[in-house]
Amino acid sequence: MTGFASAMSALTGAATLTLGQSDFPHPMHQVTLAHYLVLSALLFGIGLIGFITRRNLIIMFLCTELMFQAAGLALIAFSRFHLNHTGETFVIFVLTIAAAEAAMALALVVLLFRRRETLDASAWSELRG
Amino acid sequence: MIEKLQTLWPEITLFIAACAVMIVGLSGTRSIRALCTPICGLALLIATFLSLGGLGGVDITVTGPLPVLASYGKAMVGVIGVILLLLIPGVVDREFDAAPGGPGEAPQPPRAFEAIRSNTAEFHAFFLFSLMGLMLCAGADDLIWLFLALELTSLPTYVMVTISTARNRSLEAGVKYFFLGALGAAIFLYGFALIYGGTGSTNLEAVHASIVAQADAGGINSITMAGFVMAIIGLCFKIAAVPMHFYTPDVYQGAAAPVAAFLAFVPKSAGFFAIMLLTATLGWSFGASGTELPGPVHSALYIIAVLTMTVGNVLAILQNSIKRILAYSSIAHSGYMLVGIIAGPGGGGGADSTLSRNGLSAVWFYLVCYGVMNVGAFAVVASLERRRADGTHDEIDSVADLRGLCASRPLLGWTMVISAAGLLGLPPLLGFFGKLPLFTSGVGAGHYLLVIILGINSAIAAYYYLRLAAAPLLESRDPAESVGGEIVESPYRLRTAAGLISAVGVVALALGLGGPLGSAATSVGQSGFAPSYVGRRAADRSPAVIPAAAHTVDDEPRDVEPAADGSVDGATIESDGGPPDARFDHAR
Repeated sequence: MTGFASAMSALTGAATLTLGQSDFPHPMHQVTLAHYLVLSALLFGIGLIGFITRRNLIIMFLCTELMFQAAGLALIAFSRFHLNHTGETFVIFVLTIAAAEAAMALALVVLLFRRRETLDASAWSELRG
Repeated sequence: MIEKLQTLWPEITLFIAACAVMIVGLSGTRSIRALCTPICGLALLIATFLSLGGLGGVDITVTGPLPVLASYGKAMVGVIGVILLLLIPGVVDREFDAAPGGPGEAPQPPRAFEAIRSNTAEFHAFFLFSLMGLMLCAGADDLIWLFLALELTSLPTYVMVTISTARNRSLEAGVKYFFLGALGAAIFLYGFALIYGGTGSTNLEAVHASIVAQADAGGINSITMAGFVMAIIGLCFKIAAVPMHFYTPDVYQGAAAPVAAFLAFVPKSAGFFAIMLLTATLGWSFGASGTELPGPVHSALYIIAVLTMTVGNVLAILQNSIKRILAYSSIAHSGYMLVGIIAGPGGGGGADSTLSRNGLSAVWFYLVCYGVMNVGAFAVVASLERRRADGTHDEIDSVADLRGLCASRPLLGWTMVISAAGLLGLPPLLGFFGKLPLFTSGVGAGHYLLVIILGINSAIAAYYYLRLAAAPLLESRDPAESVGGEIVESPYRLRTAAGLISAVGVVALALGLGGPLGSAATSVGQSGFAPSYVGRRAADRSPAVIPAAAHTVDDEPRDVEPAADGSVDGATIESDGGPPDARFDHAR
């Protein structure tokens, strides 16, 4: 179990922040900052890989949303870690921006679908150099 | 609080004007609709006036890494915003204006106005909102503020690109721009989250204080460092630098030329303001010589700068479309400016003069120069259009369309020649006085290799800029080429005026009128963090931040259970003011 905890901290590079991982009484019953960071990094990575590999515009947009929410998760975890409310405040604003981007993305998607009847990003490659 | 609101007068002016044009632009009367442009122009001029401390007593310098950037940055945005505004009429809603017919024909009557099909109102409003976001970037002193300002700059531009022409290529450009923009935003947001995680605050002063404390205690922790690197990579989207540059040529080509001119200046400046603020927050007191940014950030910026310059210049050579050439040149110019950021205040030997500046002053000065020169080049493209036999019109695209322009339309031709020569950095013109301080700041900071690469790249750039300058000046137009339709001047003559203003600016600012601009640049480069200042502010602003952050560089393992652990422990959540060690003890 100690191995698991130190692997987690190595994974995030968060060794300096996840203080005292070595002597958890019940590691599986306690959620530490490192767990949140790993989850957040995983979400961010899934979003990034999805954005690069998928060609459907809605999926690509959802992948960027996933990355936004990964950052939000990290902010809340850090906010709890530092015991101030700055990170939580930040998340509220992030959600607002994410909503604005969602509105814009859906408007664009509707426009594109009306012109070409497809949501495949590779159908749009008129501009090349 | 009131003092802080006071620094926002320029933005408030733009906001009021944006609300006004949203209403005015929907009027059924043409003359009222036509007020949109003057309202925007007036608001921008008032904002510039207020930014420079007009009305006396309104001091808009802020506390933060670069206190004077707020004032001069906003003034720069206001002035160049006015030139950009002159390009805007005719971008949207052309069908509601009377179109001039071909030679010997009567002008075509406009369509009846329909508010539902009109875009004038929102286009002007988005134009102002985006400039407002850029002004907010210049005055940012907090990561949350910076994030919101960057997004406010970018979100309207996505719409502006998409509606700039009715063609499919604008839609494609809009989609590419939006999706990569969202990706960039997510990356720098994650970076901001990590910076907050590593330092315990989003206030740039407190972040700086925490970084100083960490560095004194043995080294900046890896989370903070990763945060800064990610933030800078995400911001590469805004400045069109290498890992995130590939959208640039497509988007500039797909958008109408006036919008492309806007994109080449506004999001780029926002990105540079943000990078300047972030790097100034880190400080240039690391590395072997003690005058560099911290290792990872330094290396990241170094690699980005070298790749950006080289990729931009080499790919620009291969292009035939004017807008694609200007897009790649915009990429290359970002690389040049990053040299100034890497050099930092250590460059220039501390003495600021026309030829030698501190790195940050050089970057700010170059942004102004680039803005002025670049608008000129895009204004020429916007002022010319190809009219087809069936009466439709399209923008000119290829360099060949510029041939013989100096003979047929001397104003536009010479504007193109001067802008291209200025962007190249030929000595008597503005570009030279912009680029030279970048060289000297690099030399002053001891980055000789970087300066050599900068020099080689400037030489490569000569190839395509001279092509842009030679086509109107030296080549003559072959009549057989006008198969696709004859090239005529756009009926919106304000665009020619914008080109003329920027060409005059390129010459006049270089010939001695740039003095005030130079001294403004000098003051922008001054850091707001004197050592004693940092210590004092850190102590009285956020007492909990510094001790908490100091833990993170502590090698000694502690028994801390910081994150939520499933058990309800409301008391510790509220114990913000408690002593740091006591706060963490609840887990045991």
